[in-house]
Amino acid sequence: MRIAVCVKHSVDETELKLDPSGRPQLAGAAGKMSTFDKNAVEEGLRLKAAHTGEVVIFMVGTPASKKTLKEALAMGADRGALVLADPLAVDSLRTADMLAAAIRKGGPFDVVLCSEGSSDTYSGQVPPMLGELLGVPYAGYARKVVVNGQTARIERSLEDSVEILDVPVPFAASVVSEINEPRYPTLIQIMQAGKKPVEEMDGEELAPPGAYRQASVVSMSAQPSTRKHVMIEGSPDEAAAKLVDALMKEGVLSK
Amino acid sequence: MTHKIGGRQSLVLAIYSAEHRRLMEIFQPTRHLDYSELLASLGAFMEKEILPISPKLDAGEISIKGPRKAVFDQGISSIPFPTEYGGLGLPFSVFATAVELLGTADASIALSVEIHNGVAEGIFRFGNEGQKRKHLEGIISGKALASFALTEPASGSDAGTMATTAELKAGEYVINGSKMFITNAGEADLYLVFARTRKGPSCFILEAPNPGLKFGGELKKLGMKGSKTSEVILSDCHVPEDNLVGEEGRGADYAKEILHGARISVAAMNVGIAQIAYDKALAYAKSRRAFGKSISDFQLIREKVADMKTEINAGRLLYLYASAVKESGGDFSSEASQAKVFATEMSLRVCDEAIQVHGGYGYTTDDLHRHWRDARLLTIGEGTSEVLRLLIARRELARSP
Amino acid sequence: MNHVVWAYSENEGVSNEVASAATDIVKGSPGEVVVVEIAQPRAGIRAPGGRLLLKGPSSADSPGVVAEALYRAAKELQPAAVLVGATRNGRETASRLAAKLRVGCMSEIYNLSSDGQSLLGERNVFAGKVVAKVTCALPAVATVKVGSYPRMESAPGGTRELDVGGVDSPIRVASREKKAVGAVDLKSAKVIVSAGRGVKKKEDLAMLEDLAREMHGALGCSRPLSSDLGWLPEEHHIGLTGVSVKPDLYLAVGISGQLQHTAGMKDSKVVASINTDKDAPMFQASDYGIVGDLYQVVPALRRALSAHG
Repeated sequence: MRIAVCVKHSVDETELKLDPSGRPQLAGAAGKMSTFDKNAVEEGLRLKAAHTGEVVIFMVGTPASKKTLKEALAMGADRGALVLADPLAVDSLRTADMLAAAIRKGGPFDVVLCSEGSSDTYSGQVPPMLGELLGVPYAGYARKVVVNGQTARIERSLEDSVEILDVPVPFAASVVSEINEPRYPTLIQIMQAGKKPVEEMDGEELAPPGAYRQASVVSMSAQPSTRKHVMIEGSPDEAAAKLVDALMKEGVLSK
Repeated sequence: MTHKIGGRQSLVLAIYSAEHRRLMEIFQPTRHLDYSELLASLGAFMEKEILPISPKLDAGEISIKGPRKAVFDQGISSIPFPTEYGGLGLPFSVFATAVELLGTADASIALSVEIHNGVAEGIFRFGNEGQKRKHLEGIISGKALASFALTEPASGSDAGTMATTAELKAGEYVINGSKMFITNAGEADLYLVFARTRKGPSCFILEAPNPGLKFGGELKKLGMKGSKTSEVILSDCHVPEDNLVGEEGRGADYAKEILHGARISVAAMNVGIAQIAYDKALAYAKSRRAFGKSISDFQLIREKVADMKTEINAGRLLYLYASAVKESGGDFSSEASQAKVFATEMSLRVCDEAIQVHGGYGYTTDDLHRHWRDARLLTIGEGTSEVLRLLIARRELARSP
Repeated sequence: MNHVVWAYSENEGVSNEVASAATDIVKGSPGEVVVVEIAQPRAGIRAPGGRLLLKGPSSADSPGVVAEALYRAAKELQPAAVLVGATRNGRETASRLAAKLRVGCMSEIYNLSSDGQSLLGERNVFAGKVVAKVTCALPAVATVKVGSYPRMESAPGGTRELDVGGVDSPIRVASREKKAVGAVDLKSAKVIVSAGRGVKKKEDLAMLEDLAREMHGALGCSRPLSSDLGWLPEEHHIGLTGVSVKPDLYLAVGISGQLQHTAGMKDSKVVASINTDKDAPMFQASDYGIVGDLYQVVPALRRALSAHG
């Protein structure tokens, strides 16, 4: 079974600093593998373990983001493909274009996996677009994937319901973080990951933009905080009484 | 990551911190990025897999075997050994830092692994090619657990006066005697045993099981409760002649050499123990309120914070310095001893202050006083502070013109 | 290109929110809002500008089928924008539609507007730390953040039907089940008591359930409690990958306040927190904070509430 897993080197939102005017300082910001992508890599590795085959990691990124590709390889993926483009300068559809072209070039694949969304921008658009562009059946928000011959049984986790689907192979899917517990690469795997083959390709050459006009970011600013930040002092009973008073005044205690 | 003190949620931290990263940059300037990547991954593993179960190990609720295997599987033991024997071929300072992280996550596992690695170091440095081929890969991958059997009931770690004997009979050494306070005893697959032959103290590889190898009851320790410690009893214990390590009569020298390296690891482990106690104390100081403010606002608590932090960093620098001297190939016995004396005494002080900061909760909470109980071993084990001070002074007097 | 804006959601209530969002965009321009329905009209749908019923697909259950139906209709009728409610199915529908149409797509937008040339809006990024103003040339597709617009209440206008032909799906639905019976409705709860890692053991959640009940609210939790510890079903998980809520009162108990969590509750009207760590990030996202042990403060709070009757 050949499994393609798409990952993103995303801005580490926990380390992101805002400048005095509230703009995020993206230049030189710390990056990491998008948190939930580890679940996608893990699921790919589990499918490989169950069916033999190989796991290939696809990423749109700059050379500086190879760390993330290497991390996926350290977890146990076999090979990587880096589509060179600035992820902050291409929108979801362009990203999906590039990933689809790279996956076609490296294909055929039986399974294409993504996470439900990246931990930095969390649009969740690339995975379904990718399914669409590749022309394969697509199931999003999978919390369980079992491939049985030419069909996969997939549990989709929606807001208030669970769907069990039979999806023909090949297919694409996005996984939710509940699907598994990602493994930690061992030290030897981390050291050997650098030796695994990574093919680099140019995003614009691979998938020319054509007449497409992409969505773009006009500006970014700090999330306005209107919180009062009142710290209530006193013994537990005093503090609780003061809190209840304050909440009554706010009119948010329903009777 | 969340530490719980008496069940309280307290702080979020990374076991492999920005501070470690900076030090790696200073001590390993050319490859610090690679090493930081490795150590950060190891730290993340420990935060998630080891730290949370550490209180259960202390309470005897779970066995050390599973978590220790998980630690071995990460590859920690293979860090300082050459790739031809299955090692990662990395500097000793990287290994020592990994032991520090493990000490933060769980001291009992750190102790077990540190002893185990001392045996690997002994076989690597003094064993013949056949012994290395046969045993090293198994040990450093953690497939075989190793134990270091030097100390005796009557003679401590003074290899020169050991009572255990080994007699060569028909191509086999027959070992008789007993070894005391042996970590990993009863669990290990391989024991590095020291016994006296006609030529003097000698070193042997003893593979378990062996009909002549028995164990005393498990010793009830103050701390390090997750690791197994007992007496090793050798009665007509036959080992093949080929299992002699190095030369007959040189065992005392080998033991000393192994212990010098192990002392750096012990120092690192104690920095790790001090770090977790400090982290908990700091979190508690920030959350505990008295007289209408956080106790971290009181100057006497701030003094404790400052002293604990300063001492921990001093200990960390000392073990990294000793590692660097070891890597350079020079005599590092004094530096290793300095690191061990300072770091073990320091971690006792820090763990003690951490209890003090917690007040009554500190004295009554297993998850806090266990760090003090764990640390308490190490001004004794692997060379007492008293013996090591003599060693340092002797070396320094000999070095001065 | 005309200035018609389409609104769609497979969820009735969300559809009425998206209709409001679409109305905001066309305000002051000669455009109109059309609410799209697939296969069957639904009784609760509000569509003042009329609705467009797409005939052909057998149901609106599969995002792939819906996207194809919308695509065929959009090719024919050329709307300026298609807005879809940002539910999980809605995100899939919109993304697939945009890929088919090869137009830009913006995700989970609020504060939508249009200058006639492009669609503008805002979205939360970096786990809610930052607001990004985003834009996309028309025609465009966007998903509208759930809960960011009031539900349209005016009566529906007329219905137009369009036959887009049958749409086959390669995927067979073996079953579709509601999650755990009695699953909490955090979305509509006016008060949410939310539990975090400060809670020592599963049994102690009962105390918070009682508190939530006494406050006529629902019990939520941070991710570790549902995912790592499994003390509560996933439906209780509030955060970036869980439910997003905006109750009148959000009471965070023993929650440290990681970005992944606050992303799911930051639109709450009033936030109060109880935590032992005075530097817990949760306090930064709160109106009222009590530094203290939840095991002391929660019982005290219950006493204070009962004193107020």
